[in-house]
Amino acid sequence: MESARRRHRRTIASIAIGVLTACVLAGAAIAQRPAPAQPPSVPTQPVPPAQVPPPAPAPAQETRPPEAPPLPRESVHADVSTRRIAVTSTFSGTGIIVFGAVDNSRQVSAESGLYDVVIVISGAPSRLVARKKSNVGGLWINTSSVTFTSVPSYYAISSTRPLDEVASDDVLKSSGIGFDFVPMTFHRSARNLTAPEIKEWRDAVVRLKQHERLYQQDEYGVAFVGRSLFRSAFDMPATVTVGAFETRVYLFRDGELLSTYTTKLDLEREGLEHFVHRFAFDHPFFYGVFTVLIAVGAGMLASYVFNRNKA
Amino acid sequence: MNIYLPIAEMSANLFLFIGMGASVGFLSGMFGVGGGFLMTPLLIFTGVPSAVAVGTEAAQIVASSVSGALAQWRRRNIDFKMGTILLAGGIVGSVFGVEAVKALRRVGQFDLFVILSYVTMLGVIGTLMMIESINAIRQAQSGIVVASRQRGQHNWVHRLPLKMRFHRSKLYISAIPPLTLGVFVGFLAAIMGVGGGFIMVPAMIYLLKVPTNVVVGTSLFQITFVTAATTILHATQNQTVDATLALLLIVGGVIGAQFGAIAGQRLKGEQLRFLLAGIVLLVALRLAWSLVVHPGELFSLTALGRP
Repeated sequence: MESARRRHRRTIASIAIGVLTACVLAGAAIAQRPAPAQPPSVPTQPVPPAQVPPPAPAPAQETRPPEAPPLPRESVHADVSTRRIAVTSTFSGTGIIVFGAVDNSRQVSAESGLYDVVIVISGAPSRLVARKKSNVGGLWINTSSVTFTSVPSYYAISSTRPLDEVASDDVLKSSGIGFDFVPMTFHRSARNLTAPEIKEWRDAVVRLKQHERLYQQDEYGVAFVGRSLFRSAFDMPATVTVGAFETRVYLFRDGELLSTYTTKLDLEREGLEHFVHRFAFDHPFFYGVFTVLIAVGAGMLASYVFNRNKA
Repeated sequence: MNIYLPIAEMSANLFLFIGMGASVGFLSGMFGVGGGFLMTPLLIFTGVPSAVAVGTEAAQIVASSVSGALAQWRRRNIDFKMGTILLAGGIVGSVFGVEAVKALRRVGQFDLFVILSYVTMLGVIGTLMMIESINAIRQAQSGIVVASRQRGQHNWVHRLPLKMRFHRSKLYISAIPPLTLGVFVGFLAAIMGVGGGFIMVPAMIYLLKVPTNVVVGTSLFQITFVTAATTILHATQNQTVDATLALLLIVGGVIGAQFGAIAGQRLKGEQLRFLLAGIVLLVALRLAWSLVVHPGELFSLTALGRP
């Protein structure tokens, strides 16, 4: 009886050590895994030199349809499936549908492909530091950094066709469409960077954000469901930063921007997690005291419960 | 079941953290060690930012040491005078440590600093434990009993000024060594997310010559208050304490520690100490590996402040 119990306890001990060893080994395995390959869409998009000023998009009034009788001009309207999304403790990401319509559509059917629609959802701009490691005496350590004063926390593009088929880089750049033209501003400490260096840092931010699925692109994500109605699905990972999101819809025909439409969407924290987050940042001292009290309470409760069981 | 951790800003499985708390709690219950030196690296391995791992672990150590400190207090095993001096030093050390964390984070070198500290500390402790356990296993096999260390000798500690009488410890020594020890341990608590018992206990026994029955209670008394102060300081200065994560680790930890304590009373220690030393060395190697091997991605992003 006694030896059986002892054997049982030894089993528990070896299981605990086994679990711990597995954790360590799993950690090591994760570290060895190579970084995921970037989606092929990024390198294929050529980047114009930074010095070239973006030409202004053609004024809307001058664009006349080639047809003889002047048809009413097309415009685009859109909305999102959910305007307010609550992030709670068990939030594991969410899906959003953007749908819209082309007014005065001249397409005969959904398959005509006369129009190109590009939808960009961007999250509230945030400040961040990007750091780069290099090898110093055999160790990989952070050696250089660049501060960005504004980077969209989330940036998702969905389009009817690959962007380089939709419009020229100049047009895309002036509207901030595409991973190469994500609006980012550098801190003034970065003013001495050369154009290739700026591109390297920008690309790094996009690549890392893509890795976290905070930056996404779907080249065939927008589908027409009639001659004027279109829709697209987006997903937001659980790590998305809460705040105001802007959804911009661009309507193109033959590489020309016809119309844009902007709508908002809010991501809010709710529930216990919202409370914890607000508490930690608004009243850090009392949050610290509160955490200590929880810890003391839990420790004392545990010893009380287990001591009573033993007695 | 996934849960979103508000300060660590990551989504992870609830049971992963409870399981980690339970595993480390089991080992700490069995060996009577704090477990912070294993938990912080494990948290970093799972992707918790290292500063959040350190700040949150301080809160967990409060929970795991408070019940022990209370039990020792009931048995009158705490030298409050000695404990207060250690605590005063500890809080000073913790203030400096938290400021060091803040400064290192600002220049982006905190990860490197934590990993180097851990590689050094775990490497030394793991090696010493490994040697000790191998010797113990050999002795158990050959049946030789080693004579215990001689006590009562005076050393350089007794020649320092500012002497004080510690009635509970039956000592008349300078206040400088316990104060310095407290500062050092408090600094470690703040930068590494450990209680520091693994340094304080041997230092009190061999350097200060505090009687063994008072050592554990007095060090637990100091650890409880220093880690509580460290938690509050990290929360105010760095906003790196994740209460949700701390609670998960505490729940796992207290349950694991109970089973660990029961197992520790009945089991032969040498083999398990050998295994623990192996785990400690493995963690140290894994951390060192992350510094030496070419990282797949050279760049990293850190969010700055909130709008």
